[in-house]
Amino acid sequence: MLVVFNIIRIHNLISNTPTFIERGTVNVEYARALQQALSVNLTQVATIVIVGVGMTLVVATGGIDLSVGAVMAIAGQIAPLIFLGPIADRFGMGVANFLALTVPIAVAAGFGLMNGLMVTKLRFQPIIATLVVFIGGRGIAQVLTNGYLQPFKNPSFQYIALGRPLGIPTQVYIMFAVVLLALFLVRRTAFGRYVLAIGGNERAARLAGVPVGRVKTLVYVISGALAGIAGLIVVAINAASDANLNGMNMELDAIAATAVGGTPLTGGHANIVGTLLGALLIQLVRYSLISIGVPYEFALVVNAFIILLAVYFQRQRAA
Amino acid sequence: MTKKFFLVFSVVAILAMLAACAPTAAPTQQQGSGETQAQAQPAAAGNCKDSPTPPPLAKKDTYKVGFSQVETNNPWRIAQTESMKAEAAKRGWELVYTDAGGSEAKQIADIESMIAQKVDLIFMAPRSEKPLAEAALKAKAACIPVIMLDRDVDHSIAAPGKDYVTMIGSDFVKEGEMAAEWLAKATNNKAIIIELEGTVGSSPAIDRKKGFDEAIKKYPDMKIVASQTGDFARDKGRQVAETLLQAHPDATAIYAHNDEMAMGAIAALEAAGKVPGKDVIIVSIDGTKDAAQAIIDGKLGATVECNPKFGPKAFDTAIAYANGETFPAKIVNPDRFFDSTNAAAYLPEAY
Repeated sequence: MLVVFNIIRIHNLISNTPTFIERGTVNVEYARALQQALSVNLTQVATIVIVGVGMTLVVATGGIDLSVGAVMAIAGQIAPLIFLGPIADRFGMGVANFLALTVPIAVAAGFGLMNGLMVTKLRFQPIIATLVVFIGGRGIAQVLTNGYLQPFKNPSFQYIALGRPLGIPTQVYIMFAVVLLALFLVRRTAFGRYVLAIGGNERAARLAGVPVGRVKTLVYVISGALAGIAGLIVVAINAASDANLNGMNMELDAIAATAVGGTPLTGGHANIVGTLLGALLIQLVRYSLISIGVPYEFALVVNAFIILLAVYFQRQRAA
Repeated sequence: MTKKFFLVFSVVAILAMLAACAPTAAPTQQQGSGETQAQAQPAAAGNCKDSPTPPPLAKKDTYKVGFSQVETNNPWRIAQTESMKAEAAKRGWELVYTDAGGSEAKQIADIESMIAQKVDLIFMAPRSEKPLAEAALKAKAACIPVIMLDRDVDHSIAAPGKDYVTMIGSDFVKEGEMAAEWLAKATNNKAIIIELEGTVGSSPAIDRKKGFDEAIKKYPDMKIVASQTGDFARDKGRQVAETLLQAHPDATAIYAHNDEMAMGAIAALEAAGKVPGKDVIIVSIDGTKDAAQAIIDGKLGATVECNPKFGPKAFDTAIAYANGETFPAKIVNPDRFFDSTNAAAYLPEAY
């Protein structure tokens, strides 16, 4: 409702502004404004979707990953350390940028591996295992630079967030690529079927010969790596890495997107497209509330209420 | 066998924790409970809580002081922390430094831990006015004087000269006024303004808004169409600016409560295909290196300095307090103003 209201509002605002009509280019300007509204929302939602897809896979196995925000912060801190540090002086910017785009994601995947091993080998409950990284991970990110902000200017690295190939922000391509890959994984591969089987009934899956441990571990690795990618995007778009705030509350946004998108937290299903839509809903609500001037505190409450409603309707439909 | 081991291990661990907690618990208990508790404490400790003046500071050669920083995710805070650390090192004082990471709860816990460590004095940069006022009262009850740095607490809960020594900081209202006056001049008294506020409930956000909004009222053609918090952070400032620029495509100016949010706003403008400094004029507060550079590049209009180098003044004030001097409720740091005329000259010393 609110979203619709806002879209109408944007429409009115645009058509009422005299300059647009004077120039006789109403349609062009309108299209431009719409394209920009879309662009802003898609760039802001990209990180939630990327992390949310990983979360959906984890949730589909009956697990949960609370560590994603902290892992984002770690990945985000490592990248500037690489291209601002001695590696860039020694091997040149090209090598440094390549490493800045790969090493943080590898490290993030490493934390995912740690989560996975804690869940499968040590038999920690997923919420506890990933809580450990949630707490410790942000600490690690802060220790890397004493919690200090690292500002930088590095156009080639920042292309992942500021680039506009064909007029569309790079991270939007990354987002759709992640969604399509995950869709393929879930629908077309044995791995995807294993994930759902484990979430549906882990013992039955094990008896049927599914390599439960390996599949579950891999799911956390994927979630970690995706969080790493999101962390890099946040850092690149801001031209500064902030260990304290990068990925703050991201685990909650990602879980909310997953839940709103219709993936039950009990596992056995993975609604990737639903997660994309869930994240978009959360984003549009947030965007609408800010643009109509609702104070931040109230916006949070309204946001919570809409999530509640969305999940309620999901349940109704499922039942 | 292993079960037993775990049982023994956990019992030992719990006992160890209890033992470690015992001294910590004493000073915090005393302010919550009645007089009997207070009497059990040493005489001095009992008197501090209700005293009409802040706890005294003994004259000593060196002190162990605490500095409770609110966050270090922006250059201004980093410069402030560096200044405090450098000054402590220079004087050979022991500095207990904590970083609350932008969390009120953590900052209150930090203050409690400083009380437990029995520091001589606490320098506090309170995150917001109300919750941290309570923390100041706790320090007072434990007979530790507090000096506020750069932000203040709610005077109806904790009063300067009574519950804490004083507050050293810039005149935030004036900073807001200076930003407003510059913007009025730069836009010929005509602007549609988006305001990016600081952390909700913090004194700079409250006062910088007050100073700016009041000053802007004199100009009928300058109006603020939207005002939202960006939490003094670049990422949040950028996202909020992106959104508000969409909702108000006719905006011609942005006033950011600090430089980090202004950096975010510049990124937002560039992403929207607008030219910062031309299509939309930006004014902010702090005077960071990034801001000075942005002024030179023509992206940022001007920034009001808010001097972060607190170390010398803070430590001097502590010594003066030990010598029995009294202070006004606020010691004002003088601030400079940077625009295209002097940003280049300022850049080398910027933080």
